[in-house]
Amino acid sequence: MTSLKRSHATITPTTTLSSKTYLRTLKSGKVQKIVRELYLRQDIPCSSQLCTVCLEQQASGYHQKAAPFVLSATPAATKQFPQGHYLIPDTNAFLNGMDLFEAEGAFTDVIVLQTVLEEVKNRSLPLYHRLIALTKNDGKRFYVFFNDFRLETYVQREAGETINDRNDRAIRKATAWYNEHLQQAASARKSVRCPAVVMISDDRDNIRKGKAENVTAFPLRDYVSQLPEADKLLDMIPERSSTRDGKAELFYPEYMSMSAMLTGVKAGTLHQGIFNVSTYNYLEGSVHVPAFDRQLIIQGRENSNRAVSGDVVVVEVLPKDQWKAPSSKVIEEDEVNKNENADNEDESEGIVTEQERRALQEEVKKTHASGLENQPRPTARVVGVIKRNWRQYVGHIDRDSVRGGSKNGQAQQTVFLIPMDKRVPKIRVRTRQAADLLGKRVLVAVDSWGRDSRYPVGHFVRSLGELETKGAETEALLLEWDVQYRPFPKTVLDCLPAEGHDWKVPASKEDPGWRGRRDLRDLIICSIDPPGCVDIDDALHAKKLPNGNFEVGVHIADVSNFVRPNNAMDKEASLRGTTVYLVDKRIDMLPMLLGTDLCSLKPYVERFAFSVIWELDQDANIVSADYTKSVIRSREAFSYQAAQLRIDDDSQQDELTQGMRRLMMLSKKLRGKRMAAGALNLASPEVRVEAESETSDPIDVKTKELLDTNQLVEEFMLLANISVASKINDAFPQTALLRRHAAPPKTNFEELSNQLKVKKGMELRTDSSKALADSLDTCAEPANPFFNTLVRILATRCMMSAEYFCAGTLSYPEFRHYGLASEIYTHFTSPIRRYADLEVHRQLAAAIDYEPLDASLQSRSKLEGVCRNINFRHRNAQQAGRASVEFYVGQALKGRVLEEDGFVMRIFSNGFVVFVPRFGIEGLIRLKDLAGSERDEVDGVFDQAEYKLEFDAVGKGKRTVELFQKVRVKIEDELEGSTGKRKIKLGLV
Amino acid sequence: MAPYTNIPLSPAELSYLQTSLSATPPIRPDGRSPTQFRPLVAEADILPSANGSARVCFSDGTEAVVGIKAEVERTGRADVFREGESEGEDVNATGEGKGRNEWLEVAIDVPGLRDDDALPVFLGAMLSEALGADGALRDRLWINARFHWRLYVDILLLSPPLSYPLPLLSLTTHLALLNTRLPALLSQGDEDPLFNDDWDASTHLYPRPSKPSPATQKPPITLLVTTTGPNILFDPSRDELAVAESVLAVSAAPTASGSLSVVAIRSVDPPSRLTAAGVPREINSASGATATASAGEVLAAREKDEGRGVWRAPRGGVGRKVVAEVVKMVVAKGGVGEEVLAGLEGVET
Repeated sequence: MTSLKRSHATITPTTTLSSKTYLRTLKSGKVQKIVRELYLRQDIPCSSQLCTVCLEQQASGYHQKAAPFVLSATPAATKQFPQGHYLIPDTNAFLNGMDLFEAEGAFTDVIVLQTVLEEVKNRSLPLYHRLIALTKNDGKRFYVFFNDFRLETYVQREAGETINDRNDRAIRKATAWYNEHLQQAASARKSVRCPAVVMISDDRDNIRKGKAENVTAFPLRDYVSQLPEADKLLDMIPERSSTRDGKAELFYPEYMSMSAMLTGVKAGTLHQGIFNVSTYNYLEGSVHVPAFDRQLIIQGRENSNRAVSGDVVVVEVLPKDQWKAPSSKVIEEDEVNKNENADNEDESEGIVTEQERRALQEEVKKTHASGLENQPRPTARVVGVIKRNWRQYVGHIDRDSVRGGSKNGQAQQTVFLIPMDKRVPKIRVRTRQAADLLGKRVLVAVDSWGRDSRYPVGHFVRSLGELETKGAETEALLLEWDVQYRPFPKTVLDCLPAEGHDWKVPASKEDPGWRGRRDLRDLIICSIDPPGCVDIDDALHAKKLPNGNFEVGVHIADVSNFVRPNNAMDKEASLRGTTVYLVDKRIDMLPMLLGTDLCSLKPYVERFAFSVIWELDQDANIVSADYTKSVIRSREAFSYQAAQLRIDDDSQQDELTQGMRRLMMLSKKLRGKRMAAGALNLASPEVRVEAESETSDPIDVKTKELLDTNQLVEEFMLLANISVASKINDAFPQTALLRRHAAPPKTNFEELSNQLKVKKGMELRTDSSKALADSLDTCAEPANPFFNTLVRILATRCMMSAEYFCAGTLSYPEFRHYGLASEIYTHFTSPIRRYADLEVHRQLAAAIDYEPLDASLQSRSKLEGVCRNINFRHRNAQQAGRASVEFYVGQALKGRVLEEDGFVMRIFSNGFVVFVPRFGIEGLIRLKDLAGSERDEVDGVFDQAEYKLEFDAVGKGKRTVELFQKVRVKIEDELEGSTGKRKIKLGLV
Repeated sequence: MAPYTNIPLSPAELSYLQTSLSATPPIRPDGRSPTQFRPLVAEADILPSANGSARVCFSDGTEAVVGIKAEVERTGRADVFREGESEGEDVNATGEGKGRNEWLEVAIDVPGLRDDDALPVFLGAMLSEALGADGALRDRLWINARFHWRLYVDILLLSPPLSYPLPLLSLTTHLALLNTRLPALLSQGDEDPLFNDDWDASTHLYPRPSKPSPATQKPPITLLVTTTGPNILFDPSRDELAVAESVLAVSAAPTASGSLSVVAIRSVDPPSRLTAAGVPREINSASGATATASAGEVLAAREKDEGRGVWRAPRGGVGRKVVAEVVKMVVAKGGVGEEVLAGLEGVET
């Protein structure tokens, strides 16, 4: 009888087939046994430029081009390896020292084994992506060697051997093989220089076994200390966790096991959500869980149990007698715990310091007062963390935590890093460069937060530069908001048209570029944009038809013609998601050549466009709509101001101006209809920073002014977006990429409407967007025109944020855009700066049978992934833009003392928040500062029901501050002693 | 039930077989002793993606493959997870007495027969009866109060059913179960189960002791036994079945004490019942007798053929003594059952 079984039992040097078996648990709870067959090969190159054998036998890839070899023939030498060396780090080396590997110039010629790469992937996906990015970075010379597919380096797991031991053995075997292989290569070339191969591992056992097998091996720390600039590099290695003496006090409760948490969440006894920390009170966090309408409150360090803002946590609701009202007090970490020593964890202190405890006591006292805001709300405590969302944090070193004696020494010490993001706790960092880093913006990574440590432990990554310098601060906020700002890689630039700036619309209509395109070059089209705009997305025209109706066209840059789905440029754009606008800088989604030239609908030149052409009647009702790819020639590019002037100038009677007047007339009708349907007119504080053109130093701050022409453009863009949305939704009901704005839950407005009722006797109705729009109009005070805007700003903060989604995931009524009062909406009009628009272009092109739809746009799961990413990027881009304005406003106010009008936006028991419309800034005024006291805390008489605060101002007697009150404030900037950082400070006049 | 009614043997041949098998000691056509098994070829663990599998090939060319898959399933009762209850059950987290027979699903596929044909249904019932009678197996499928394993035993007969395939299928299933492994459990108590993703860490459904000991738990085996005259024959061949007076399917499983015990006995309708009887010479016209015998006379003559002159289909029925004797032979120390188990244990994976 012949055996049916393929025998995998023995691997002889000639068998090329093996298999590996493992179990996979599916989401549904099913467990699958997976068997993967491995075909071992001998043509996987070592990729060292020394080696000629591998070069010859390497399989040629795409285009018959063999991949160039990565590892240098003359790698960097050190004292110990005068002939140069290649590195083979193990998994833990990457997990612990990723920042080190990323550091500029330190680690080159690194061999990343497949075994290691897979282990990194299993342990941490973010680190895996960073490692992959490293291997793609040409300068670093990181090479992924598929050791498990190469016959000579494949290792069969032995009976009774753990997976870790097997992997360690695989790493040693690969190292030994490289060693031998390179020696052969060197002798074949008759070269005297033969680089050493060094294994990096922190596993003592692994190193010992390596020594026995003649493999050169070092722990990461030992290896790094041999390098030049070792001090700087050593800081990037995280501390071994909990190496302190055994009986260290455990401050925090232990986390539940993962399976216990998942069971609890499924059973509904525990809840999962994202942990958010209040910006005003670092001791109070909240978690929104699907089971409850209102957020669960988490108060105090012990309950938040090492969760950091952004983590996905599992919480348990506390018994009712522990429910509390949300805090009515401002608590800032650097105020409360100013003088802590980072080095020693004082035994007398628990996780809650005495000051913190006192602050919390106040809270409890407050809960007994009545009032809507004051009703006790369910509180919860964190029992475990499902997923850490730790990223790299930007911050500065706390001056007080640096030991006096060693301010200029090189001794290693522990310092506190105060993150820029107030919601993130201080991070304890060990460094030798404390003195150098003072007064600098630094980037740190969080490594761990053990039960025995009050604060998370991190390590230093790099310094961004001096605090307050433009370069450092800009980079800081780009890092903080995760904006990809590196230049486009070569693979992306390779996707650009070869002609570069000389690209032109083909002259001959036989050219494939003209296929399916309508020739609209004779239309009188113009574009209206902000002054100085170079990436012109849209252009417009309007023409009177013989039947008295109007033909109106919106022409959008045809970016999808240049960015084909799934090439490197598309992938990069999809990753960036949006162009980010900072005050003095633009971080493009697409390379400059496309964004500002080839796609941009510049005047006087022919450009490809995607046109939406309607026939509108006198009342701006749509008679018909038509979508087509086209070629246009814009006659003029106006700024809003210039367009307004031209329309208002009666002496201009040319066709272009007439067209703009028609557009203006129609846009007003469109707007009227939209407002009647209940569209909201919301406000957000927008300011513009005037900068001196040469140095881009800010000179002055102005609030943005809105002209009719702004609204003209906006109306037609909305019209185009809505038309396109219903068109693609008809064509692809499952996969259309749309944008929605959910109606805010009623509870969101409760606080604001109560405040308005109590303070102003006004009613805010929130049952529909129409009701809200109408009642917002009534919230006005003739004497105080800004009051209405203030209410609108506050109302905007109560709303949900709009989001992209994929049509198949929701039912039609949920598509609604609340703010625009439209049934359906998408983004179509700015493909140069938003990825969503680009995808919508592709879908629309397929809907009009211009080209087939790419597979990536037909898969709902892929589109959902795209939506998640662009929603995230979109939010971050907005935040980064705001942070940038804030920074420049601060710079503009530098060294000045001004008096301005402000409005009280929020009241706490120990201070209040004032909004200054002229600069769009909001600032906290503490009673403590007004009283001029150096004591810890000053409390006024706080009437929570009436939103009123009474206190003694120094030299001015008793004063009362109420919500929405107009106050005169003094604005000045102040240098903070402990941080060396400039802060805007508001004071009451 | 009649898998093969057309036995290609004449009454004379049947009579010859019957006579030699009834002799003391019996003379079996292939020269085996009454308790001797035909040689077989077996291998285990042949399907890489199944939890357990085996293949057995008998020397008459019949061949079977068994694949066993395990799936996590939520237990119907008590979906609500109560904190207090879980504490108490942690103490007794072995699943003793908590298993249920319906967690085991046996499916038999015989080429040329439909799923609902008599043969596969009957075979399936007999095999699952034996597996179910062994309470230890179903209890092993218990994970915690909320989850259990569902075991799919898929039995595939590769060859046509030349002889009664019950012993073949039973031995293959036994071997497959013996090699079945379940993922190692990481979670505790009544949590949603979480398993170690290392296949090498998985545990055997029937734990294997480090050194062979008789007390090992093993899946049951079902043996086919026939009686012919005074003789008891194990592992009957096709020809032997054709003349068997009674056919018994005896299922035995090792008990905790190490001895074998019978968990089920079924009598199987012997195929010999459907054979045509021989005609006694006196009334056989072909041999010169007067052809005037009426049907009644023929019957009467057959009844009177006390001396067993010609073949006559057996009447069925088996004495209690014989059954007792069969049981004894199966379970006795060093008996047939132990011999078979020891033989199968030697199969290399």
